[in-house]
Amino acid sequence: MTAVAPPAVRVFPEWHGQPLEEILYRCRELVEDTSFPTVRRWREGGGKVIGHFQVYFPEEIAHAGGLLPFKVRGAPIEPTQSDSRFGSYLCSIIKTSLELALSKRVELELFVTHPICDAARNLAGVWGRNVPYPCRILYLPQNPNSAFAAHYLRDEYDRVRGVCEGLVGRAITDDDLRRSIALFNENRALLRRLHDLRRERPWLVPVDDAYVLLLIGGLVPREEHNDLLRTVLPLLEGRSAARQDKIRVILEGGFCEQPPLDLLRAIARSCYVVDDDLLIGLRWITTDVPLDGDPLFALAESYIDRSAHSPVQHDLRKPKDRMLLERLDHAGAQAAILMAAKMCEPGLEELVVHTRALDGRGIRYFVSEFEENMTSFDSLEIQLETFVENLVFD
Amino acid sequence: MTDATKEAGIVGRGNEAGARLFREWFQGLNAAAEENRGAAYVFVMGSLCELLRVFDFPIVFPEINSLQTAVRRVAHEYLNEAENYGYSPDICGYVKADVATQLRRGAHPMGRIPKPALAVCTNACNTYIKWGEIWERMHHMPLFTLDIPGSRGAGLASPRGSEDFERDRKYVEAQLRELIVLCERVSGKRFDIDRLRQHLGWANELNQGWHRVLELNRSRPAVFNALSDGTIYLGVANGFRGAPEGGAFFRDLVEEMTHKADRGIGTPIEEQWRLIFVGVPCYPIFRRFSELFSDWGGVFVNSTYLWFASGGANLGFTYDLARPIESLSEGVLLGVRDAMDSMFFQTQALAQMIDDYAVDGVVYHPIKSCRTVSTGLADTRRALMAVRDVPSLFVESDMMDRRVVSEAQMKNRIDAFFEGLASRRHQAAASTG
Amino acid sequence: MAYAAGVDVGSTQTKAVVINETREIVGRALTDTGANVMRAAESAFHEALTNGGISEEEVEFVVGTGYGRYKVTFGNTQVTEISCHARGSVHMFPRTRTVLDMGGQDTKAIRVQPTGEIVDFCMNDKCAAGTGRFLGAAAVALDLPIADLGPTALRGERAVKISTTCTVFAESEVLSWLGKGKKIEDILLGVHESIAARSIGLLRRVGIEEEVTFTGGVTKNEAMVETLNKRLGLKVNVGEGAHYMGALGAALFALDRIVAARAPAAKGAA
Repeated sequence: MTAVAPPAVRVFPEWHGQPLEEILYRCRELVEDTSFPTVRRWREGGGKVIGHFQVYFPEEIAHAGGLLPFKVRGAPIEPTQSDSRFGSYLCSIIKTSLELALSKRVELELFVTHPICDAARNLAGVWGRNVPYPCRILYLPQNPNSAFAAHYLRDEYDRVRGVCEGLVGRAITDDDLRRSIALFNENRALLRRLHDLRRERPWLVPVDDAYVLLLIGGLVPREEHNDLLRTVLPLLEGRSAARQDKIRVILEGGFCEQPPLDLLRAIARSCYVVDDDLLIGLRWITTDVPLDGDPLFALAESYIDRSAHSPVQHDLRKPKDRMLLERLDHAGAQAAILMAAKMCEPGLEELVVHTRALDGRGIRYFVSEFEENMTSFDSLEIQLETFVENLVFD
Repeated sequence: MTDATKEAGIVGRGNEAGARLFREWFQGLNAAAEENRGAAYVFVMGSLCELLRVFDFPIVFPEINSLQTAVRRVAHEYLNEAENYGYSPDICGYVKADVATQLRRGAHPMGRIPKPALAVCTNACNTYIKWGEIWERMHHMPLFTLDIPGSRGAGLASPRGSEDFERDRKYVEAQLRELIVLCERVSGKRFDIDRLRQHLGWANELNQGWHRVLELNRSRPAVFNALSDGTIYLGVANGFRGAPEGGAFFRDLVEEMTHKADRGIGTPIEEQWRLIFVGVPCYPIFRRFSELFSDWGGVFVNSTYLWFASGGANLGFTYDLARPIESLSEGVLLGVRDAMDSMFFQTQALAQMIDDYAVDGVVYHPIKSCRTVSTGLADTRRALMAVRDVPSLFVESDMMDRRVVSEAQMKNRIDAFFEGLASRRHQAAASTG
Repeated sequence: MAYAAGVDVGSTQTKAVVINETREIVGRALTDTGANVMRAAESAFHEALTNGGISEEEVEFVVGTGYGRYKVTFGNTQVTEISCHARGSVHMFPRTRTVLDMGGQDTKAIRVQPTGEIVDFCMNDKCAAGTGRFLGAAAVALDLPIADLGPTALRGERAVKISTTCTVFAESEVLSWLGKGKKIEDILLGVHESIAARSIGLLRRVGIEEEVTFTGGVTKNEAMVETLNKRLGLKVNVGEGAHYMGALGAALFALDRIVAARAPAAKGAA
């Protein structure tokens, strides 16, 4: 098999040498660009793309093969062609994600999903009938408490490696994997720094900035993401922004369908979001993945033992009520904003757990549903302001 | 039907026996509830009853309990209660009906339902897992989630015995052994492998019988209505899996259906149209829903519901009693995987069904409550229409929530469908006549 | 000469059509359905007879259609309005392969064979978005007569994006845009765009094949016709008698029965 060299093209050069506000502006532009120019540039440079749906995907494996792992997360677009492929009572992200493919806004070599919910478990089937490239299901363990789950997952990852090898026409060695893991470890460390900074000094990093900086990682090669974060972090630390008297909250519900950026800005106007689960899959593994031993096993074990939590991962060690309170306490938050995407079954079910847990501790919360293509938030913003005012007067 | 047949008491025996077995089952559960004995809560896709019966757990299928509230016209009370508690109108109705049952300390139209001592689910449906988490919090009982790796893509189900298959099977087996340890702890009883062999043996009879009964419906006329009668047999296939009554029921059912097939005895409906049902039945108006089709002479000869909702028992898998745990893991993997495939990668199987059962039309019934079944149905229908020139109907409602069930609207669509079938048959006759 | 009749009892209006053996419409009538469905059916039927100068005895077969079809007690049989709209559309525009029926209460998308036989259909009758009712709600919000909606929308230049999917909220969204200083013409154009988009969503589910025939009460609204044409990228057929399409189809089915009954080797009814 002939080796495929990774493309030399930089897909997101626009931010280089710019001041902080300009960098953030460019990042926001990219994140809101539904023509996905970075993916296009990657392909134009001869590169191949793996689309992976929510929540988590072992991107290191794709990266080790010289592929671009692209986070498929829907978009605020009309599902003109995809709507007829689906039934009713469904979340928007299911439809708009397929719309990206059908409208050729994004072209892939492979699409991978994991059954995070009953709607999403249909994706591989629907996509497979409607796009010309393979669509595969990755069965991440919902029984991570089994002593054998890590071994099983390791084999599952080996399967993914095999599929990637088929795409690039060369073997993906353990050393390739270790190099990628090391790069992603750096990425994880940078993201932890970003989120620590946001938690400690939220006036420097409003939620929409933190979100955008995280999301870029799902759109560009990790090398570029690392460069961006390394550049931006000191700039954020040195940012001149006045500390204001806003309440500290956590934001829950962004693990799959994404709220519009404008909604996050509206929230940021009223309070400091000091932690959230937005795109938690992109920062799923919470510490370094070990570089010794079998790299696939290290990744598998990390998924199970060194990971965050979400409504769609079941783990007896992470009961949902306790995990919410832990996040709240760890972040030093005073209240919670609980959001569920419309028609999101796990999200809506989780609202019941979360509200009861918070009631049990006497912690105040604001509940709302959202949709990725909402365009008006007046009503929501007024309600949120009222909520915040009432908290302040307590 | 001749007097002789009536006297033999064979025709209709299965429906009566099924109803009786159900009553007995729920009477047993009521007794367990009164005695404060904890039950094993299980689901239709991968119930593991064969194993759980070894520990003498009373068996509860919350899915069946919930659909019974709809059949008995009280679902809306249960749904309202759960929604008042905080559950969204947009989530699975089965879950909500069960939440209300739990809040009412097991009060149910068929008798009291005992609390769970443990719950076992597979990953075949994500709602199972969230549902189990509710019981974890409510009853502080252990939820065991059995990972069943399904097909990784269309046509990619690894063949039995292959390396890929064995990797998955070994994981299932390892988990089953962990489940045994949990069952021992919860029940206080030691695992008895000979008892497992017994229960597997009865399950074998059930599997083989179910497979044969489904096959017999290729007869013309069909010997049972897959929508109405099928649901009764399905209930027994789930509720009595691994029990001696389950094996006996299906032995008798094969005899009854063979008897009917040999004599050309069909259902009480004069069969004009042979149909397939894809989806979950409309339980809030169950009888009426069936009549909307049978009034036109429409008989359902098969249904994917009888496949996935039996956890793949339709495959007729035979457990090897010489290697009970290994064989159980194989059977569960094959059955649950097939159940998933019959929902997500169903085109080939349905096309085959159309050919084998001489089908005139396919009825798709997606439901609000169940995204597992319904999300991809519009697209799988499109795929089927591309490979088979058979008319199909797409009619949406729900299996629990009568607020989204409109008989008038459904009748309109169903009537239009039959008008089309009739017109098609008329045109075909005119062109050959 | 024998006559056949079709009576289409809709939730808001009842239509009746009488045709002769050569399939020409000899009489038709329209009345409000009101609370007494049976009376509406009889009234429309008799008025259609009067308009055609025909006596009841001359009508050999009557088919009832629409939601109230079982209330057409003087009818000989019932056929769904889905089948009737398909049949009527193909009769009026023989190259019809797709039908969009936008009524006051529901919207139907139907794909048909050249014979009028239905290939597939999809209806929106749960939700008012994408139906004439959405227009009704907008009319109320803007305090305009329904007949003015189309002409006003045609004067719009930049359609406002209506994001609510629920008719109940349409009113408040329309008022909110007015409050933000948007022009009535642009708002109304946006309402039309929104309805057209939803209807086209239904059409896509059955597959769009030319020619597309547009039927139902909303066909009189030129802005809707134009918006549909623009979004579909083709010209939809609109007949003068589009409102009567269901009743016409029913009458054609009635005529089938008359013809079949006369045929020497009359087979069982289709």
